[in-house]
Amino acid sequence: MKNPDEAIGRVLAGLRDAEAPAGMERRILEAVEMRASVRAAATPRWVWRVAFASVIVLSLSLAITAIDWHRLTATQAHQQTVAPESHRSPGQAAGEQETSLLTNQPIAPIGKLARTAASTGKVRHINDADAVLLAEMRAPSHPAPEAPLTQEERLLLRAVHLADPRVMAMLNPEVRARQEAESEAEFQAFVNQSGKGDSE
Amino acid sequence: MASIQGGSLVLFSTESAESEVDLAALVESYSRLLFRVAHSILRSRAEAEDVVQDAFVRVIERRGALQSIRDMRVWLVRIAWNLALDRRRRIRPEQMDEIFAESLVMSTVPADERLDQAQRIRCVLREMERLPRNERHVLLLSAIEELGTAEMAEVLGRSESAVRALLFRARTRLGERLESRGGER
Repeated sequence: MKNPDEAIGRVLAGLRDAEAPAGMERRILEAVEMRASVRAAATPRWVWRVAFASVIVLSLSLAITAIDWHRLTATQAHQQTVAPESHRSPGQAAGEQETSLLTNQPIAPIGKLARTAASTGKVRHINDADAVLLAEMRAPSHPAPEAPLTQEERLLLRAVHLADPRVMAMLNPEVRARQEAESEAEFQAFVNQSGKGDSE
Repeated sequence: MASIQGGSLVLFSTESAESEVDLAALVESYSRLLFRVAHSILRSRAEAEDVVQDAFVRVIERRGALQSIRDMRVWLVRIAWNLALDRRRRIRPEQMDEIFAESLVMSTVPADERLDQAQRIRCVLREMERLPRNERHVLLLSAIEELGTAEMAEVLGRSESAVRALLFRARTRLGERLESRGGER
């Protein structure tokens, strides 16, 4: 093996004639079988994908349910607070509720609206006519106004406020009868006393 | 999915029945070729066997794409080739070359001659590793008889003419280097 080409040929022939170890095919098949069984036992990738998608869908449904429940409770709370708010002026109530009405959101309690407006500093501007209309639309129902006074009632009220109290007292039949009886008695007493003095 | 029926491991793809692969037949047909391909790089029988096993594991992992493979033989050789190159970076090839050189020495010659042959073979292996990478790869693949020039070109991703030129240059360069080293000795 003095020639380099001969040495190269010897090496290449050694590489070419390399014999596989005995039983290599069987060992390979066994190893691959083991790997395949491990892979089959492992959870397939699509199962994880389906589980992940299910978790997302469940989370979304829960979130939507929670939002709906929150809206329902907010609406109920608003309906409960409508009666206490009725004593306020229509313009004030409209100004406080205009944000909710314009944004098509449920009416929140007044305190919550005030906090929201103060925190955001954003209150939409609407004109007074619209505010009145909104207030009238949203205002709670009131009883019908009282009927105007009749002419007799107005005269009576004027007498009550302007006439002499003694005159007013005479409007009472009992007081008037008693007063007349006393006057009659005084007159009779005067007459009797005058008759005695003339006779003397 | 895999099942063993009568000693043959058959892989079933979920897409269609056409994608069935008889892994036992593949192992029977190509394991020795893949072993030689891996051994040409690693020069270790145990390491080469591990590479062949890994190559067939890759077949399982990519069984869904087997239908699109044009040439199964070249595809398997490329897998084994790349796995062997990757494995060689993690082992100590000098030790493997010593054992391989000892195995190539004829046992019928005297002891001093055997030492001289082993030294020359180690020298050839060392100089082969110092060749440019493309020339070294072509030279190693050329040692495998089953692979023609076209298949070597496909494995290496080069043209056939380039493979022929690289092989010529590799043998010439290796011979020159060995001659110069022989003159130095």
